[in-house]
Amino acid sequence: MNAPLSRLPRLFIISSGFEHLDSAGLSLRQAAAIKDSGPVMFQLREKGLDAARLLSLAARLRAELEPSGSLLLVNERADIALAAGAEGVHLPESCCPVATIRSAFPGLLAGQSVHSVKAARDAGKSGVDYLLFGPVFATPSKERYGPPQGLDELEQVCEAVAVPVYAVGGITPERSYACIERGAWGVAAISPFLDPGSMPSTIETFRSFLPS
Amino acid sequence: MTLPHRFLCVITDDIHNPVELAQMALAGGARMLQLRRKSASGRELFEWAVRIQELCRAHEALFIVNDRVDIAIAMKADGVHLGQEDLPAAAARAMLGPDAILGVSASNVDEAVKAREDGADYIGLGHIFPTRSKDKPVPPLGTAAIGEVRKAVGLPVVAIGGIDPENVTEVMKAGASGIAVISAVAGAQNPSAAARHLVQRIWQ
Repeated sequence: MNAPLSRLPRLFIISSGFEHLDSAGLSLRQAAAIKDSGPVMFQLREKGLDAARLLSLAARLRAELEPSGSLLLVNERADIALAAGAEGVHLPESCCPVATIRSAFPGLLAGQSVHSVKAARDAGKSGVDYLLFGPVFATPSKERYGPPQGLDELEQVCEAVAVPVYAVGGITPERSYACIERGAWGVAAISPFLDPGSMPSTIETFRSFLPS
Repeated sequence: MTLPHRFLCVITDDIHNPVELAQMALAGGARMLQLRRKSASGRELFEWAVRIQELCRAHEALFIVNDRVDIAIAMKADGVHLGQEDLPAAAARAMLGPDAILGVSASNVDEAVKAREDGADYIGLGHIFPTRSKDKPVPPLGTAAIGEVRKAVGLPVVAIGGIDPENVTEVMKAGASGIAVISAVAGAQNPSAAARHLVQRIWQ
């Protein structure tokens, strides 16, 4: 389903990456916690899980996310996304050519992570529905991508592409507004959402800094 | 697409360049190439897959992708091979359509029967002999399992695990339609010669 781009949710939640380490179904508890929180983008990014377990988790998440109208994106694996009934696939920068994924899986939304203005420009031309750009701010989980890119780079990326851009890396509710000012469509994060108990209020706080 | 008769399938290893390995394996008479490298990025796998597929076409061999149904569909491989921890075979078959080759790993009759019900075209049965490729939690099946599985499911059985030129004859006599190897070709000094030797033994 290709939702109108202007209507993609502004808040983009990325799963913990800990599902393979006895996290007792954290992503399912996260999904259950946001039932009444309105739509978000939810990326299932669990590189430690094999495909069989990813599919079964994705299918259960799809059901849990239904009431909030959230969109489920499966990291990298369009096959698992399709089999699970997810709305889309989120591609890493080093992935199959986006155009081939688009034509092979026409029913899926396709987004991509990019880490430079050039990569963003290339991805923007390849037919993605949205981009995730970062790390905008310093963040331990993205240290391998080098120093933070900063708001100026974010602004350049947003100017360079016509698709919605989500800022990622060190995102807090307070920093969200600065990202939007620089042209981001929304913001993405892992760590603010690791406690399902506080998720509804965290999401509400984020929303207060984001356009409706 | 149909499987060849009495064939060698060469699976890429985690060390050597998969395209170069494929080239040498095909020159040695392999009729099926399987691209498998769990640590590779999607882009690497896609690029290798496109080039190996071209080589396979030129040699009239089949090209299948391990685990990554998305990549197989995106670059139009001949098929996929799935382990028990990969996507369920039925889900893969639904996405691949009826013409793609679907192989499923099994280590007993129950898994093989399930694989057939889910749309598998062949069973990758193993490990037949002791193998160093992976630490295996179960003892080797032995060649008698090949006949049992073949009889139970009626699908071609491709034997895998510790197969070498010395035991190929026993494997084929037991009812295998083909053999699949990783290190016996990928780890050989001369992969072409190693493949050729195995192919000769398959037909003896």
